[in-house]
Amino acid sequence: MTTPLLSLRDIKKNFGSAQAVAGVTMDIHRNEFFALLGASGSGKTTLLRMLAGFEAPSGGDILLEGSSIAAMPPNKRPVNLMFQSYALFPHMTVAQNIAYGLEMDRLAKAEIKSRVSEILEVIQLGHLGGRKPDQLSGGQRQRVALARALVKRPKVLLLDEPLGALDKKLRSEMQLELKRLQHEFGITFIVVTHDQEEALVMADRVAIMKDGALLQVGTPREIYEYPETRFAADFIGVMNFLPVSVASGGYQGKEGPLIRAADAPELAAGSAAVAAIRSERLGVETQGENSLAGEITDIAYHGLDLLLHVKTPLAETPVISRLTADVAERLAPEVGQTITLGWSARDTRIFPA
Amino acid sequence: MTTDRRPILLMSPALLWLFGLMVVPCLLILVLAFFRRGMYGGIEYTFTLENIALVFDPLYAQIFLKSAWIAGLAAGIASILGYAAAYAIAAMPRHRQSALLFFAVLPFWSNYLVRTYAWIVLLNREGLIVNLARWVGFEGELPSMLYTEQAVVIGLIYNYLPFVILSCYAPLSRLNPEISEASRDLGASGWTTFRRVVLPMTVPGIATGFVFVFVLSIGNFVTPALLGGGQFQMIGNLVYAQFLTANDWPFGAALSMVLIMVMLGLLMAQATVADRASGGKAGDNG
Repeated sequence: MTTPLLSLRDIKKNFGSAQAVAGVTMDIHRNEFFALLGASGSGKTTLLRMLAGFEAPSGGDILLEGSSIAAMPPNKRPVNLMFQSYALFPHMTVAQNIAYGLEMDRLAKAEIKSRVSEILEVIQLGHLGGRKPDQLSGGQRQRVALARALVKRPKVLLLDEPLGALDKKLRSEMQLELKRLQHEFGITFIVVTHDQEEALVMADRVAIMKDGALLQVGTPREIYEYPETRFAADFIGVMNFLPVSVASGGYQGKEGPLIRAADAPELAAGSAAVAAIRSERLGVETQGENSLAGEITDIAYHGLDLLLHVKTPLAETPVISRLTADVAERLAPEVGQTITLGWSARDTRIFPA
Repeated sequence: MTTDRRPILLMSPALLWLFGLMVVPCLLILVLAFFRRGMYGGIEYTFTLENIALVFDPLYAQIFLKSAWIAGLAAGIASILGYAAAYAIAAMPRHRQSALLFFAVLPFWSNYLVRTYAWIVLLNREGLIVNLARWVGFEGELPSMLYTEQAVVIGLIYNYLPFVILSCYAPLSRLNPEISEASRDLGASGWTTFRRVVLPMTVPGIATGFVFVFVLSIGNFVTPALLGGGQFQMIGNLVYAQFLTANDWPFGAALSMVLIMVMLGLLMAQATVADRASGGKAGDNG
C-alpha cells in the first residue's frame, strides 16, 4: 500500500457556533480527478479553503504525502487554487499574471519566460499574452486562471466551481478540456462543484457533501447507480420516489401491485419506506419484474429524450419516465393515453422513510 | 433622429451655477493680472506682463517653492497615515466600517477655524503637549512648537487627513479579497502581496488623496496665519495680502493664476494615474 497523496483526518471547521465542516476523513490519490459535490452551504468550499491554507481547521489534520500541512501558510503549500472569481490581477497582463507564481519561486527569467509561453500554447492563448484581463472573454479569463495555477506544477490543484461562470456549451467543452489537462500534467485535481453532471463527467471519484459531512464517496457510476442515501439519490439525476410500506416479498404503494426490489436493506415488515427508480429505468417497453399502468398527464420534450409524466395508482404525484428520441418517435405518446411502464427489480432502490 | 436631451437638461442647472458664479468671476479677477496697478491702488487698464514676471522673481518664487514643499510634506504624510487608516478600516467586518468612517469624517462637522484654534491651545508654550512632556519628566527649556513650519504642516495634515482616508478607503474596500488570496496562493508573502498587488491596485486612491491635500494646502491661508504666526508666509497668505492689505489686485491675480495652473496640472496628472490604473482599456492588443 502506498501512502495516499492527500489524507484528511477528521477535519472540522467551526465559524462561531456554526459548524461548516463536521469531521471529514478521506484519502485522495496521485493523479486522481476528485470532485466535491454539494449544494451551497454544504461545506465543500470551506473544505477546499482549508486545503489551500486560507482557513485553519478547528480540529483534525491534513497530511500531504504523509506529513501534516495543516499549520502551513498558503504561500508555502505545494497546492494551488483556481478561484471561482478567477481573481486575476487586473493591473497585469495575461503573461505577467501567469509569470507571477513562478517569480515567487525565484526561477530564472529565461525559464519563467519559456514556461509562460509553453502554457499559453497549451491553453491556446499564445497570441493574447500581452492583454489585460478585462480585454478577455469569460472563457479566456477562465483559462488564464487555470494556467496561472497550473504553471506552478503543484502537487494538488484545487478548483472552486471552475466552470460556474461559463455558458452551457462552453462548459461542456471545458469539462473535457480540464480532463485532458489533468492527464497531460499528471496533477491531482480536486474540484468543488454544485453541478452533478459536471462531477459525473469529469471526476474519477465523487464525494457528496451535506451539512459539512461526507455522505458518500465513490466512482461516478457507484454514486449514480447505487446511492446510499435518499439525499444522494435525489441530488443526482432524475429519480422517482414512491412512498411504500414494507410487505412480505415486496413493497406496497398507495394502491396497485407490489413493487419488487433486489438488494434491498432489511426493514421491519409494515414500516414505511421509499422506493426510488431512475426515470430512464422506467420505460414503456422495458421488461422487468415490475409493471404498472398509468395515464400520461404531461409530456416534456428535451430533444435528445422525452419525459413522460404518468399518473399511477402508486402515488399522488406522477412518476417520470424518460424515453429516448427513437423510442418516443416510434410510440408517439399523447397526453391522456394509458400506458404500461415496466422496470427491473435490480433498478429499484429502497430507503427507509 | 432625435438625440436624448435629458442628460443636458439635468446637468445644465449645476453647470450654469458653476460657470456663472465661479468661472466667470474667477476669470474677471484673473484678467486683472494683465493690467497695471494704479497709483492709488486702483487698476490702470494698460496691458502688461510685469505682474506675471514678478511672480517668478526669486523673492516670490521662493515663497511658491516653500508653499509647495509644505503642501507636499503635508500631502505625503497625510497619504501614508490616511492609507494605513483606510487599510485598517477596510479590513474590519463590514458592519464596523461605516461607524469608523463616520468617526474619520467627524472633524469636518466642526468649524475649521475652531479646530485650528484648538491646535494653538495644544502647541502653546504652556500648552498641553509641553505640559505632557514635563509631566513625563522632560526637563529644561522646550522650544515652542507654535508658530513654526512644523506646526503648519501638522495643522494641514490634521485638517485634510479625512479626505485621504475616504479616497483610499474607496478602492481598498472594493478590492476582491480573493485577489490577495490568489497572490498568497501563488507563493507571495503578505508584504509582497501588498507591494505587487494591493498597492498598485489602490494607487489611484492615494493619488487622489495626495493631490487633494496638496491643492488645498498650497492655497491655504488660515492655517499658516494662525499656526505659522504673522511672519510665516505661504502663497495663500501672499494672495490674501495683495488683495486685502497691499491693495495690489493685479499682482494678487497673477499669483492666483500661477497657483491655479499648478493645481490644474496636478489634477490632470492625477486623472491620468487613475485612468491608467483602471485597467488601461484603451491599451494595445499586443
